[in-house]
Amino acid sequence: MAADSEPESEVFEITDFTTASEWERFISKVEEVLNDWKLIGNSLGKPLEKGIFTSGTWEEKSDEISFADFKFSVTHHYLVQDSTDKEGKDEVLEDVIPQSMQDLLCMNNDFPPRAHCLVRWYGLREFVVIAPAANHDAVLSESKCNLLLSSVSIALGNTGCQVPLFVQIHHKWRRMYVGECQGHGVRTDFEMVHLRKVPNQYTHLSGLLDIFKSKIGCPLTPLPPVSIAIRFTYVLQDWQQYFWPQQPPDIDALVGGEVGGLEFGKLPFGACEDPISELHLATTWPHLTEGIIVDNDVYSDLDPIQAPHWSVRVRKAENPQCLLGDFVTEFFKICRRKESTDEILGRSTFEEEGREIADITHALSKLTEPAPVPIHKLSVSNMVHSAKKKIRKHRGVEESPLNNDVLNTILLVLSNTFLVLDDIDITHALSKLTEPAPVPVHKLPVSNMVHSAKKKIRKHRGVEESPLNNDVLNTILLFLFPDAASEKPLDGSSSTDNNNPVSESEGYNLYNQFKSAPSDSLTYKLALCLCMINFYHGGLKGVAHLWQEFVLEMRFRWENNFLIPGLASGPPDLRCCLLHQKLQMLNCCIERKKARDEGRKTNTSDMYPGDAGRAGDQLGPDNLKDMDKEKGDVGKSWDSWSDSEEEFFECLSDTEELKGNGQESSKKGGPKEMTSLKPEGRLYQHGKLTLLHNGEPLYIPVTQEPAPMTEDLLEEQSEVLAKLGTSAEGAHLRARMQSACLLSDMESFKAANPGCFLEDFVRWYSPRDYIEEEVIDEKGNMVLKGELSARMKIPSNMWVEAWETAKPIPARRQRRLFDDTREAEKVLHYLAVQKPADLARHLLPCVIHAAVLKVKEEENLENISSVKKIIKQIITHSSKVLHFPNPEDKKLEEIIHQITNVEAIIARARSLKAKFGTEKCEQEEEKEDLERFVSCLLEQPEVLVVGAGRGHAGRIIHKLFVNAHRAAAMAPPEEELKRMGSPEERRQNSVSDFPPPAGRELILRTTVPRPAPYSRALPQRMYSVLTKEDFRLAGAFSSDTSFF
Amino acid sequence: MRGHLSSVKGGEPDWGGQLGSERSGVRMDEDVLTTLKILIIGESGVGKSSLLLRFTDDTFDPELAATIGVDFKVKTISVDGNKAKLAIWDTAGQERFRTLTPSYYRGAQGVILVYDVTRRDTFVKLDNWLNELETYCTRNDIVNMLVGNKIDKENREVDRNEGLKFARKHSMLFIEASAKTCDGVQCAFEELVEKIIQTPGLWESENQNKGVKLTHREEGPGGGACGGYCSML
Ligand SMILES: Nc1nc2c(ncn2[C@@H]2O[C@H](COP(=O)(O)OP(=O)(O)O)[C@@H](O)[C@H]2O)c(=O)[nH]1
Ligand SMILES: [Mg+2]
Repeated sequence: MAADSEPESEVFEITDFTTASEWERFISKVEEVLNDWKLIGNSLGKPLEKGIFTSGTWEEKSDEISFADFKFSVTHHYLVQDSTDKEGKDEVLEDVIPQSMQDLLCMNNDFPPRAHCLVRWYGLREFVVIAPAANHDAVLSESKCNLLLSSVSIALGNTGCQVPLFVQIHHKWRRMYVGECQGHGVRTDFEMVHLRKVPNQYTHLSGLLDIFKSKIGCPLTPLPPVSIAIRFTYVLQDWQQYFWPQQPPDIDALVGGEVGGLEFGKLPFGACEDPISELHLATTWPHLTEGIIVDNDVYSDLDPIQAPHWSVRVRKAENPQCLLGDFVTEFFKICRRKESTDEILGRSTFEEEGREIADITHALSKLTEPAPVPIHKLSVSNMVHSAKKKIRKHRGVEESPLNNDVLNTILLVLSNTFLVLDDIDITHALSKLTEPAPVPVHKLPVSNMVHSAKKKIRKHRGVEESPLNNDVLNTILLFLFPDAASEKPLDGSSSTDNNNPVSESEGYNLYNQFKSAPSDSLTYKLALCLCMINFYHGGLKGVAHLWQEFVLEMRFRWENNFLIPGLASGPPDLRCCLLHQKLQMLNCCIERKKARDEGRKTNTSDMYPGDAGRAGDQLGPDNLKDMDKEKGDVGKSWDSWSDSEEEFFECLSDTEELKGNGQESSKKGGPKEMTSLKPEGRLYQHGKLTLLHNGEPLYIPVTQEPAPMTEDLLEEQSEVLAKLGTSAEGAHLRARMQSACLLSDMESFKAANPGCFLEDFVRWYSPRDYIEEEVIDEKGNMVLKGELSARMKIPSNMWVEAWETAKPIPARRQRRLFDDTREAEKVLHYLAVQKPADLARHLLPCVIHAAVLKVKEEENLENISSVKKIIKQIITHSSKVLHFPNPEDKKLEEIIHQITNVEAIIARARSLKAKFGTEKCEQEEEKEDLERFVSCLLEQPEVLVVGAGRGHAGRIIHKLFVNAHRAAAMAPPEEELKRMGSPEERRQNSVSDFPPPAGRELILRTTVPRPAPYSRALPQRMYSVLTKEDFRLAGAFSSDTSFF
Repeated sequence: MRGHLSSVKGGEPDWGGQLGSERSGVRMDEDVLTTLKILIIGESGVGKSSLLLRFTDDTFDPELAATIGVDFKVKTISVDGNKAKLAIWDTAGQERFRTLTPSYYRGAQGVILVYDVTRRDTFVKLDNWLNELETYCTRNDIVNMLVGNKIDKENREVDRNEGLKFARKHSMLFIEASAKTCDGVQCAFEELVEKIIQTPGLWESENQNKGVKLTHREEGPGGGACGGYCSML
């Protein structure tokens, strides 16, 4: 063994001169590195503070050098010290022994919880290691080891470096180092013994003292006293009485809305196995003196219970199985599935409907037959086609600034949200389009339809194959659509109760950051249900099935004018995920359709019309009269209208009236022809303004509400607008496309204020474009004179143009700006074609949102500050990742991993609390101490047990060990018997009821003159560690070299 | 005249948003660092379109029509040697057109909020605009700039200091300008772009930004540290 041989005496004998030049080069390279790192000379730092090895920062610097073609890495490890500590650097202190030699004796950092092994063995704050660069390389032969060591010795001597220099020999796993430290006239040799089997005489203190003394070979008698530090480490793996209570929920049990004790909408939490695997107790005697204590082969004073210091560390189970983490991970996996819903379920409901909805032209041809599927009658393509033709005609094909493809895309998109304004009378154009009036189609009762759709599913799949059993499905549907339970489906305008106390909590607004959905929304609940279905009820198939049912329900609600519950009313909330927006969009459609249908009903039954489809709540008292007057017309017209009303905001087919108001409208507008018309569609009287020509009050008209938009539609729209480019032509076209709303408002305004001028309109609509000045007229009176702003007066600017085009038509008879039928069908189609993978991607933000809320909630119960911090980080991180349209899988995985991590930490905290019985603790103060102790165990590598074996925590730990030991003794396995049989074990057991220690560490220190009695007295140290299959001695022996 | 305030916005840098370039379909040129989406808002008639025209075409057109809905212009500028393509969306400002605008807030990196120094009412309305901005902006690190326009006119109603105060209160850049005389216009846009480029994470494309690693992996027994006692047993 390396330490047993005496390397220093053989160094020069084995020098092989054939390699001298390589060797010399190697030495000079070592010297170069030492010089580069400025490790030359003696730099004394502060004495080491207690615990600084753990609390301080360790750094390392590396370089590579080679010996011939064998590569070594040189690494400088050092504890970072304040720069002020190194001030004495330049003065060379002749008499002072090197820092490292002094550190050998320092007792402030014995047994550090986490440190480089050389630090642990020798108490060094700084050292350099030369080791083979490649992990599998090793310096094995003794001659090579010695060659290296002599290189070190020469390099140290040549440079005057006082930092200890080690070389690593043998295989790396053995952690064998030899080294040297040189000072002025002093040297320390670092030697090591490493054995598999412990020689009997070294298993106790007295034997080790003997080696130490013989190694020092001190010529003095009596020998100065040896100081001793001892640590025994005990490992507890068997937690006896303590059983990990958490079982994966029983999936088969379905009890009143709960599955295996899990409610829908709640996430599971916790580890399925004990996340704490071992407890290590270290009992330490930090400062013993030889002779005070007896520890030999027949007797030992070292009773762990009596040890002055106890410290504990826990070993965590690697990646314990955690429910929440699994839940989310499994859900995330759906994102990678390629199958469509149909493929998963077998061909089913969507096939027919889906195809029809998708293919509008095909659907058109079916119009003549009564079809169960509602299809809006005017095909978009027709509309666009004719509009396009009109534009072409106007401009001539060759001048067209846009290529046809671009234009087509634009028009297709626009047909959805804008109205293409043309010089040709738009109403006229529209009425022409409607002329070949489609045959009225009588829809089949919707309930029938859904009913039959459900039947179809059954038929296709057969009841028994159905991935979700009926009970589960019904429970979920009831959970998602609570309004279905009551006879009357939800009727109110808003389905989400915004006064809900949840909404005030800090977690509620997380949807904003995560782009998920509010935690009380349908979307969020759906995400949780799918998550649970995926985990417990049929996996992907179950997911596909539930989704199919969900889409059917959506169609049912659309057909029957039942609002969808769990969605905030109003236009889609762009801060939420797209799926949520789509559902909100559908709800907008339902709301408008419902209002229209109800308006129709009440009109025929001669009741107050309720301002169907408009800003009903804004209804002023002024137009009540108007409404009354109109009632008759409305009532009579509905019957003849069948489905074509879908083209109009609120429709009337009274062609006479159209002619009456529409055709007569002159280009100028103006009082003469117009005043005779009766005003229509007034919302309320404007506060101050009166019409310019006759001084009558100016009325604000009922206007069409803007079209609700989801983010994908908005994106499409702005893309189209941007594609028009920045030319004047493009800008003009862009304005034109967006003038639908302006035109509609102008028409409403004209209808509400017969005989009005553009000036009147502008004063309401864009007041700063009407400029008023005080002027003195001929009679010398101050009068207010107003006129349109310069930009409004530009001949044939778009405002003037639109004004001239606008007919006095109240909003309810205008073409709808928002085609709810079309939009609803688009949404329903969109929903129907979502694959489970798409769905999972849509909803993953909701699931992550829910998971974060869950860990937050669980953490609140435990109050772990480090977890609080991690959760905050997860939230910031997630909000960044999830705001991207298509977050990378890797980033999503990392978020999920973090959540799982937090779950494991909380589970560990619970496990420890249970093990230490913090809840059972009755005394408040003790309980607090114990809780603090447990939380330290989670966060620190090693925790001191206050009061050691006599403290509260100490007694609990003791009991844990005793119980485990007793259990092992009652049913001793063979191996245990063998261990108990050794004399060593018996000796150990005579002193305490603890099991034998898994490891023993001893540090022996003294200061003696070497090699002669008259040499300088220098630090000597030996560290030993003894475990079941490992024995190591690490010695540092210093000697005076002045006269040798 | 470079009268501006540095903005003092706090908050975490975002990880860059969807860039205007992708949305607007403008191909990114090789030497262009990035495409930025900028939005101009404010009451109608304060000179938004005129400011934009001055910036992009260096002209002033007294015959400029009132904007309908939103308009769109592109210009490439160079700030500190970085070329940036600006996709600038100009909005109408009238009450009724406002329902259109929220969609354009999405993904914008910079917003220019304009008022007319000769019309106090346009200054008073700034609060409403900021409210809207807050509601519809999808990100919190967007750079805002306040511009007081029409300083060439004599009948000033809003003092420069009032503008300054407002901007400071809301962490915005501030400048007074005139689309007519060209004062401050170029500077305003350059300043805004510079600020955006200085804001980490606001403009980089997704893959340029690797972001923070969250994992605190426990030190393994590899390397130099031997992991303390654990590895010894
Ligand atoms: N004197 C002066 N007039 C301006 C200035 N900027 C714009 N204007 C005028 O103000 C009116 C409104 O301008 P415009 O750019 O259309 O305002 P916008 O509605 O905010 O886009 C137009 O008549 C412009 O000529 C300016 O800096 N000085
Ligand atoms: Mg404008």
